[in-house]
Amino acid sequence: MKIDEIRSKIDKIDRELLVLLQERMGLALRSKKFKTNINDPAREKDLLARAEKLNLDLVESSFTRQLLETIIQESKRLQEEDRMLVAFQGEHGAYGEVASRKLVPAGAYIPCLEFVDVFRGVEEGYLDLGVVPVENSLEGAVTQVNDLLTTTDLNVTGEIKVLVNHSLLATRGTDYREIRMVYSHPQALAQCRSFLLRNNLEPHPFYDTAGAAKMLAREHPKAAAAIASSLCAELYDLDVIKEGIEDGASNSTRFLLLSREPYAGKGDKTSIIFAVPHEAGKLFDVLRLFAEAEINLTRIASMPLRSDPGNYSFFLDFEGSRQDHTIAQVMDEVQKLTIGLKCLGSYPADPMA
Amino acid sequence: MKNLKLASLDTVQQTIIEVGEVAFGRDFVVIAGPCSVESERQTIETARAVKAAGADMLRGGAFKPRTSPYSFQGLGLQGLKILEKAKQETGLPIVTEVLDPRDVSWVAEFADILQIGTRNMQNFSLLKEVGKIQKPVLLKRGMFSTLEEWLNCAEYILSEGNPDVILCERGIRTFENYTRNTLDLSAVPAIKELTHLPIVIDPTHSTGRLSLIGPMSMASVSAGADGLLIEVHHNPGEALCDADQALTPERFENLMQQLRPLRAFMNEMPD
Repeated sequence: MKIDEIRSKIDKIDRELLVLLQERMGLALRSKKFKTNINDPAREKDLLARAEKLNLDLVESSFTRQLLETIIQESKRLQEEDRMLVAFQGEHGAYGEVASRKLVPAGAYIPCLEFVDVFRGVEEGYLDLGVVPVENSLEGAVTQVNDLLTTTDLNVTGEIKVLVNHSLLATRGTDYREIRMVYSHPQALAQCRSFLLRNNLEPHPFYDTAGAAKMLAREHPKAAAAIASSLCAELYDLDVIKEGIEDGASNSTRFLLLSREPYAGKGDKTSIIFAVPHEAGKLFDVLRLFAEAEINLTRIASMPLRSDPGNYSFFLDFEGSRQDHTIAQVMDEVQKLTIGLKCLGSYPADPMA
Repeated sequence: MKNLKLASLDTVQQTIIEVGEVAFGRDFVVIAGPCSVESERQTIETARAVKAAGADMLRGGAFKPRTSPYSFQGLGLQGLKILEKAKQETGLPIVTEVLDPRDVSWVAEFADILQIGTRNMQNFSLLKEVGKIQKPVLLKRGMFSTLEEWLNCAEYILSEGNPDVILCERGIRTFENYTRNTLDLSAVPAIKELTHLPIVIDPTHSTGRLSLIGPMSMASVSAGADGLLIEVHHNPGEALCDADQALTPERFENLMQQLRPLRAFMNEMPD
């Protein structure tokens, strides 16, 4: 190995150490939800003793102890900070994390494998808040999330529209002219189709946009790049070759913030879900109430009821708070006409959404 | 001229190439900016200055064809990103040179117009490559080339399917050595007799003398050119390339104030 090669390997290891530390700190914060006291001397002693037993000739036990003590100290400091644990679906750097960072600025952002993990984590109290996508301007409703919303007891306490701004990312020092393969989620690849064609790049489907960025940073495949958010460039130490590579007008995704408690203030937007009896004009009767009260609807969507095929849930978003007198009155009327009316909450509207 | 199936006047009367808010072949288009992109600060400051003075587009090289391999070769991709930022800041479309066929599609992702420099006028593989993209190409005249050779190079680009070629006269080599090159202004009316493609003048490289840039710019307007390509640097003394021929923003602004009325006057002239 030449010095350049050795140095690049060292850089890669350092990067991975830091990414692993980030993961470890996230887990430490999550463990706090199960403990009454941050200090747990027995656990610390056990952890240090086990590490010291490892027989690594270049990592001496005195150094190991010092290093782990520093890490433990830092994770205790983080635990005392009382950061909100904000769950999103996907790997670090996913658009869900971009939305989480905007909705809850100084939080601890916890990646979850599935949407259901976000819902359950918050419902059961292991996580404080959840951020989930409900609809995309090009692709429409995110059915899994809408389905989970029909059954959850969580409240919607905020919303945000995130512009999906795809970037082409590559490991540092990659010559852009040598890039041939591009990894990303099939939807992102589809949204950048003409960019890929223009530059003669081969699309390779991957399970997740941020996952593709993470894979690039870990495995350094030759002549490869990923399509993901520019946040991924910061999190995985990648170069942004080109920003804004999506075809045509940029698309956006609307995310909802979920909490066990309802929004503390009044809010100026409300989301409800209901079903109606399978009879002529029933949906129209409900919508007429909103029209007559001059309440502006911002979203109306229907989704098949999984529990009852042939019947539908309706999702309605409208301007105003359920604390408003008119809206409260309309809601009483809606209650009489519908089956299983559920108010997800009133919350501050994102002016961009 | 033979073999100009697409470039000759038989096909179209006047090619109009819209870029941003202006159109070559309809408006008098002024492209200004530094010889090369040296830093974000230099590029954005110069972009703001030329915009304020009334320029329509920003020029700046990210890839530089230099006589010596040891001279500054340009910032490459970094330079393209800086140009993109300058465009976001000022709204000015970007004109930048491409040297390598492998770079063409990438440069086209950042630039609004791709420039083929005088040394590459007859680089046929490069011409074919820019013929395949959907961005206009500014084709500089080779410093030793006849009009026929030049138009044949335009034909290469047109024949690949790109109809938007802008010609740029930048001076030819003669025995005269007071000026860097000899500006062939007669090329403007001659080109107008031969082709429907718009033609702009580069008074900077053709003269290589600051004092001549103004007069030759005015002469270009009178000759009927469709625009100008001028080097401006916010601090010419610091320039990494061609420092002694870049206008200061102040001198450029003065020139712009003389150019616009002359163009208006020329437009009023009976044919």
